[in-house]
Amino acid sequence: MSSLLEKIDHYRRLFADQVSRVKEARQVEELRQAFLGRKKGHLTLLFEEFKTLGPDEKKSAGRLLNELKTDIQNLLAELEQKLQSPARVKQLEDLTLPGRQLYWGSPHPITLFQREIERIFISMGFSVEEGPEIETDYYNFEALNFPPHHPARDSWDTLYINDKLLLRTHTSPVQIRVMEKKKPPIRIIIPGKVFRRETPDPTHLPMFYQVEGLVVDRGITFAHLKGTLEYFIKTLFGEKIKLRFRPSFFPFTEPSAEVDIECIVCGGQDAACRVCGGSGWKEILGAGMVDPQVFKNVNIDPEVYSGWAFGLGIDRTAMFAFQIPEIRHFYENDLRFLRQFNRR
Amino acid sequence: MKISYSWLKEFVNLNLPPEELAGCLNQIGLMVESVTPVGEDTVFEIETYANRPDTLGHLGVAREIATLLELSLKTRNWPLKELPQATSGLVDINILDPQLCPRYCGLVVKGVRVGPSPDWLKKKLEAVGLRPINNVVDVSNFVCFSLGQPIHTFDLKKLRGGKIKIRKARKGETIRTLEGQPVELDQEMLVIADETTPVAIAGVIGGEESGITESTTDVFIESANFNPVSIRLTAKKLGISTDASYRFERGADPNAAPAAAVMAASLLCEFGGRVSRGLLDLYPVPRKPRTVTLRLRRVNELLGLEIEPEFVVKTLSSLGLKLREQSPRVWTAEIPTFRVDLEREADLVEEVARFYGYDRIPSAVTPVKSFELPADRRRDRVWRLKEVLFHHGFDEVINFSFADPEKELLWQTGCRPIKLKNPISAKLSSLRTSLLPGLVENAVWNFNREAEGVHIFEVGNIYYWEGEETHRENLNLGILTTGLRSGRTWREAEKETDFYVLKGALEDVCNYLGYDQLSFEPVEHPFFEPGQALKILVKKEPVGLLGLLNSNLARNYDLERPAYCAEIDLNELLRKQPRAFRFQPVPRFPGVSRDLSFLVEDSLTYQQIQEQLQKLNIPYLENFLIYDRFQGKNLPPGKVSFSVRFNFRHSARTLQTEEVDRAMQEITSQLKSTLKIQLR
Repeated sequence: MSSLLEKIDHYRRLFADQVSRVKEARQVEELRQAFLGRKKGHLTLLFEEFKTLGPDEKKSAGRLLNELKTDIQNLLAELEQKLQSPARVKQLEDLTLPGRQLYWGSPHPITLFQREIERIFISMGFSVEEGPEIETDYYNFEALNFPPHHPARDSWDTLYINDKLLLRTHTSPVQIRVMEKKKPPIRIIIPGKVFRRETPDPTHLPMFYQVEGLVVDRGITFAHLKGTLEYFIKTLFGEKIKLRFRPSFFPFTEPSAEVDIECIVCGGQDAACRVCGGSGWKEILGAGMVDPQVFKNVNIDPEVYSGWAFGLGIDRTAMFAFQIPEIRHFYENDLRFLRQFNRR
Repeated sequence: MKISYSWLKEFVNLNLPPEELAGCLNQIGLMVESVTPVGEDTVFEIETYANRPDTLGHLGVAREIATLLELSLKTRNWPLKELPQATSGLVDINILDPQLCPRYCGLVVKGVRVGPSPDWLKKKLEAVGLRPINNVVDVSNFVCFSLGQPIHTFDLKKLRGGKIKIRKARKGETIRTLEGQPVELDQEMLVIADETTPVAIAGVIGGEESGITESTTDVFIESANFNPVSIRLTAKKLGISTDASYRFERGADPNAAPAAAVMAASLLCEFGGRVSRGLLDLYPVPRKPRTVTLRLRRVNELLGLEIEPEFVVKTLSSLGLKLREQSPRVWTAEIPTFRVDLEREADLVEEVARFYGYDRIPSAVTPVKSFELPADRRRDRVWRLKEVLFHHGFDEVINFSFADPEKELLWQTGCRPIKLKNPISAKLSSLRTSLLPGLVENAVWNFNREAEGVHIFEVGNIYYWEGEETHRENLNLGILTTGLRSGRTWREAEKETDFYVLKGALEDVCNYLGYDQLSFEPVEHPFFEPGQALKILVKKEPVGLLGLLNSNLARNYDLERPAYCAEIDLNELLRKQPRAFRFQPVPRFPGVSRDLSFLVEDSLTYQQIQEQLQKLNIPYLENFLIYDRFQGKNLPPGKVSFSVRFNFRHSARTLQTEEVDRAMQEITSQLKSTLKIQLR
């Protein structure tokens, strides 16, 4: 018995000694034959001897013998791997060289920002509607409760095609088009291009993008308008952004509101802030409860249904969110500008 | 509108710090754009709304503040030093068009010493941005900016016959305005005339001839009310906007006219004036005050809260409304004539909400009562299309929808452009009929700014007349690729873009949207170089064009590099039904590939070869692809070499070599007979 344990110890040391002298793959195979060969391998013989032992002796020797076998197999496999690898795989000379990068085109920032807005509203169960860019006076103004020759039209300076047709000055005509076709409940947003007769300057252009929202149903209140727009703005600008609702005037909503958000550029700390003019607030959207006259114009009974609507300038909001100083950048299409939005 | 703090104090007792007052004004919707100290005074620039002419005077703003702070408005008496003569004995007023002039009040002040105004008056006017002129003009401005009621002063001696006629202008009549500008009047314009000629354009501007001068002693004060639409049309037509027209076109209060005349007269007494007895007040059809029913239930329904009825009554009464309870919590409200904006119940709900405070209204989730399926998948498809193009390395651009008609003529788009009636400039005076001019301009812009390659696309409308009357806007896709496709790296040399970069992107757009494969036909079109363009077809219907940009056009834009571009009618393309997606079993048996290289006449196109190959009825031919094409070198002249790889596979077993050999023989012999190929 003691002789088998001694032999295990002996071969362990013998293997350690021989393995340290191995230089090439051929020697690994020789070593494997010497220790694990099927007929005359040292370990094979030890296992033969092991079989002759009594049950008590087997208990202590068995474990040691198996351990030795596993160790030898592992070491040989490891060594073989090490010695063979240079022949099998080509070595790279300099791993620090730059990798192959693939250029993906960039979405236009307006598209990108519009999609972010759409996603928020779609998650609240809104669907997306679109409408024509060339409109009639009726849809653009009259149906939205702008009387002919009313000074309210001055804030929507219009590009006309002829006496009947104009370029829509807001996305609101689509409200009318949808309400004419569809009975409540209505829950939509309307993104799109709009036009104003504005001479280009850093914050005005004759073409820009808006997104409009409209909800019509029984029992819709101003509180719903507030709750939804707060969620929207916080999703867009972050949980901590402060906002305020203040009364305003739009012909197509009553009561009307404007929503200001805290200036993210100066936080109200800079009296000369270019973005908020030092007030600490930035006007971001107009909203309100759908005017009863608008409902009457599309044959929806304002005694039964109520609704809220909002409109937001996508360009202006994107300028604010990304701190883009000039609205012109959006339509110059300078690749050095556009390609930055790949990273958004 | 500029509001002076000290001026406000003449109407209401205020002692808030200016910043706090600004906060109050914001809360009720009189948005303060700036707060500026002016000497001891503070001036607020406030945003006013087109429906709130009552806030165009300090009194109106004071009324709002008084309501918010629960203060009462001050009243002031305007004493007169009277002349013995009655007004009616000095002037004769006649309203010839009561539709356009509902009310006209007049007073005469004699013996006025015209000269500079006293300091208190100058300071007030200067604070709100008005230039002091002389005491008479300054008094009329002071009244206007106090009450919001414009008044006009005439030199009485210049009014021929002492007559005032409010009538429409006659054909050919002209007037020289106070600004010295000669104006031709038309028969739609309301004027104030004396016995013979117009002396003022009613509600817009006075005439120079009848104006107040240094030598004026006797003043006729006009305080009238004019039809808003008439004033607006006249002012717009003449291109003249004054403080008076601005107020009248928004709707002045007819009941403010008498008080304004008296206030002006009283102030003129301080400069030696004595006032004629009895205000002349022509008001042929007095306006009946409007009444509106207000239900507390409706207030709460629209705002989503519970408001106390006492708050409603207190607020609206303070704003000048007279409330009478019809039934519990339902009122009839009589609207004061200065509030032209209050017409319906919803308007009163807004008044309650404004003074209650929007910030105190709770926030709630808009309830969802039904789900709707999206109306169509068009928007999803447009986005998918963009994603494919991003993947191909194209950047998205957005250009103006406007076009320079002269430049667009060069393109011969074949569409009749839509011109604007009142464009901003000649260069922006029509609407684009193609997306390509914009893309070419973008390419040039970027080449001039160090870009070495420009690969861009735009999805947007083009616009044109169809027939005489029908306007169209059509969603198009424009793509352009020019210059370097990729820059040089340590692994690869730089690559120039080419026609096939563009064509591949378009083919992929169709593949990934699930449309049938595109087919192409050679075409000649003014956008492209002769022989270098293709018409794009889906299911044999044309959807667009692609090719090498015409070199004359390129030169016109100073674009030096070859540019490949395409324009696709997306309305047409997206109307097509994509193939329904069906899962195909993953192959279980190995495929076999065979290559075939052959020579054909160089007049033969790949498309012709492809069409022949598609006609072949070869079992187990999974697909084929061209992997080489060349001409010249060692080939006989007039010949071109193609190499095509054929992939075979059987779905239920491994193919035998002999089967594939037979198939290749069949392919070869068919192509020999149809295309006269020579094997290489």
